[in-house]
Amino acid sequence: MNKQGPRVLVVDDEPAIRRFLRASLCAHGYTVDEASSGEEALQVIPAVHPDVIILDLGLPDIGGREILSHLREWSQTPIIILSVQGEESEKIAALDAGADDYLTKPFATGELQARIRAVLRRADREESGPVFTTGDLTIDLSARTVRLGETEVKLTPTEYSLLKVLVTHAGKLLTHRQLAREVWGGAHYEDTQHLLRVNISNLRRKLEADTSRPRYIVTEPGAGYRLQVESSPDRASADA
Amino acid sequence: MLEQGNIRSGASASASVSYATQKEDGVQPQRSIADRVASLGRLPIKGQIWRSCLASSFLVALITLAGLRIAHIVGGPNLVILYMLAVVFSALRWGRGPALVSAVLSALLFDYFFVPPYRSVAVTDIWYSITLFSLLAVGFLVSILTASAREEARLARKREAHTAALYAFSESLADAGSLEQILEAIGRHIHDAFQRPLVLLLPERGGLAARFLSDVFILDESEKTAAAWVFENGQAAGAGSDMFPATRAYYLPMRTWRGTVGVLGLHSQGLTALLPADQQQLLGSFVNQAALAITRAQLATEARRAELLEETDKLQKALLNSISHDLRTPLASVTGTLNSLLEDAPLLDVSTQRELLETARDEAKRLDRLVRNLLDMSRLESNAVRLRTELCDVQDVVGTALAQLGEAADRRRIAVLASPQLPLVPMDSVLIVQVIVNLLENALKYSETDLPIEVEARVERDQLHLSVRDRGQGIPDEDLERVFDKFYRCVTPSVARGAGLGLAICKGFIEAHGGKIQVARRAQGGTEARFTLPTSRTDE
Repeated sequence: MNKQGPRVLVVDDEPAIRRFLRASLCAHGYTVDEASSGEEALQVIPAVHPDVIILDLGLPDIGGREILSHLREWSQTPIIILSVQGEESEKIAALDAGADDYLTKPFATGELQARIRAVLRRADREESGPVFTTGDLTIDLSARTVRLGETEVKLTPTEYSLLKVLVTHAGKLLTHRQLAREVWGGAHYEDTQHLLRVNISNLRRKLEADTSRPRYIVTEPGAGYRLQVESSPDRASADA
Repeated sequence: MLEQGNIRSGASASASVSYATQKEDGVQPQRSIADRVASLGRLPIKGQIWRSCLASSFLVALITLAGLRIAHIVGGPNLVILYMLAVVFSALRWGRGPALVSAVLSALLFDYFFVPPYRSVAVTDIWYSITLFSLLAVGFLVSILTASAREEARLARKREAHTAALYAFSESLADAGSLEQILEAIGRHIHDAFQRPLVLLLPERGGLAARFLSDVFILDESEKTAAAWVFENGQAAGAGSDMFPATRAYYLPMRTWRGTVGVLGLHSQGLTALLPADQQQLLGSFVNQAALAITRAQLATEARRAELLEETDKLQKALLNSISHDLRTPLASVTGTLNSLLEDAPLLDVSTQRELLETARDEAKRLDRLVRNLLDMSRLESNAVRLRTELCDVQDVVGTALAQLGEAADRRRIAVLASPQLPLVPMDSVLIVQVIVNLLENALKYSETDLPIEVEARVERDQLHLSVRDRGQGIPDEDLERVFDKFYRCVTPSVARGAGLGLAICKGFIEAHGGKIQVARRAQGGTEARFTLPTSRTDE
């Protein structure tokens, strides 16, 4: 990679975390900026124009969600949040408020890089073609066809629109609420919960070889679903 | 001394008698004891004496009438025997007064009708004077004797009633276990014995609090002040005494060797006079017994508290030892590995360096798991677990657990037996995923790598049954009961590494969902951990 790799802004109040993230990300060709507080982050962002922001949810000065809503008013920069166990509801709220993905501390740097690649790829794909491929799965959004290897898979209209939402955000974690909103519109979230589970289950039965070990549609417990992008080599250490 | 001894022996004798009658009756004669005690305080009413005197006079008149009829047969002077009988009967039946009346009347009537000269009170014969004098003397003597016998009997009855009341009191105190029951018994028995409203006050947070209060007893500020003074000074005061005479009740301190334990207030019911001396004494006995019983209950509570404290202390020490050991071990590995990499890097080949780094990472992961478990445990214990219940696909939940186990699960044969037709089950998926992960980790840890592991899920009678089965060496019977205890590790398989929190957390999470979890030995060897979850929402 060249010197002008993607710019990553790391916002965390722990110097040790910033130091190892800088080391690891620089080694992979990223340009790294740091902020140790929410205040500082909000000042730095307009100046450095980062491509990705890594934001710790537990900053001492401003709440992570507050920073998110500030930021989303004028910027669509991808944001990956870092949380610790026990902040589940805070984490979901941040995702619903526009964060692109999350990682629970402690995490492997490989996992972080996979997430960064995924969000960057999405930022690029706005102009990419209508055909999406991951593993054996091919989805042609213009022809509305889904193929598994050579065979075409028949989907119901709801299943297809659910898969389409997942594909257009491939690699990104989509919360239950976001999926429900995109597929069923403004309908009550409580009512669509059931539909969402059933349709995900049906999609898996049609697309996955082993439904209890899904390869494409992955569950983030308590948060939502993500369409796994096969090129990332980090599937095995997903729990790290 | 001698008197006291007598009272004691008499008391114990009558106590055993009254106990026997209670047994026979079957029903405790609570009321009658109370009535007897209460009636003893009263004096015989004046009208009753007059009526008795009248009755004895009537008896003497009857004898005179009868005597007039039979005088010619038996001889008038012999009738003195009948008059003597009347006097003795009056003394026995009605007491001293009526006996005296009948004696005097008998002498007069006998003299008038049957002693010559007839129809006159004059006595001419010296022998008749002696007869008349004897009649009077016998009358006086008999009346005095019977009266003292009656008084003896009355006192004995009173003593017996007091003893019976005290006995019943001490019996119910012995039956009462808690302080509340003891106070209730004290209040009830004293009320029954004295037929007066009362209050029992015990010290509480710097002041006195009424722990028993009769319905009609009004405990206002002046009453409280008097009670507080009695508690402070350990002396009786209140209505009828010199201190606080304006109060409605008489207050007695309840004292033991530990000092004043409380105050008893007995309502004066408008009568300014104190209780009669014997009732005072009875009240004193009641109060002493009450004080002892209260002290006994307080000592028992203190002993229990001390015991509990000691237990807790012991547990906490063990816990601290266990945790600090479990935290230090991985930390020591991480620190040691990193130090050796820093200091000896030039001496180590690349593959060794990598091996060391992997060790450090795995140990750090272990540390993370332990901290996570401790956090979950403390959240469970402080009831801070908030369920985020959603309808979940059971297969998906199992799959997520397998994904979280990562490589460890991929290396082993884990069969998932779950029908795709399973209904959605309400649960907090984050917690249930963790339960399944913990159960699977145990199965992986305690069975050989080539042996299969099964996860089965099915729904029966509104319950999701999920079981994780392995073919390991199984849990010894003596451990089955305790595997869900915190910090409990089976002794037998020495491979066990962990803080002994996994199953305790599983149990906590499952029970928070209203489900049950158990571990059993499989017939053909191995362990089956199984939990249930209700399939219908009950919490919202």
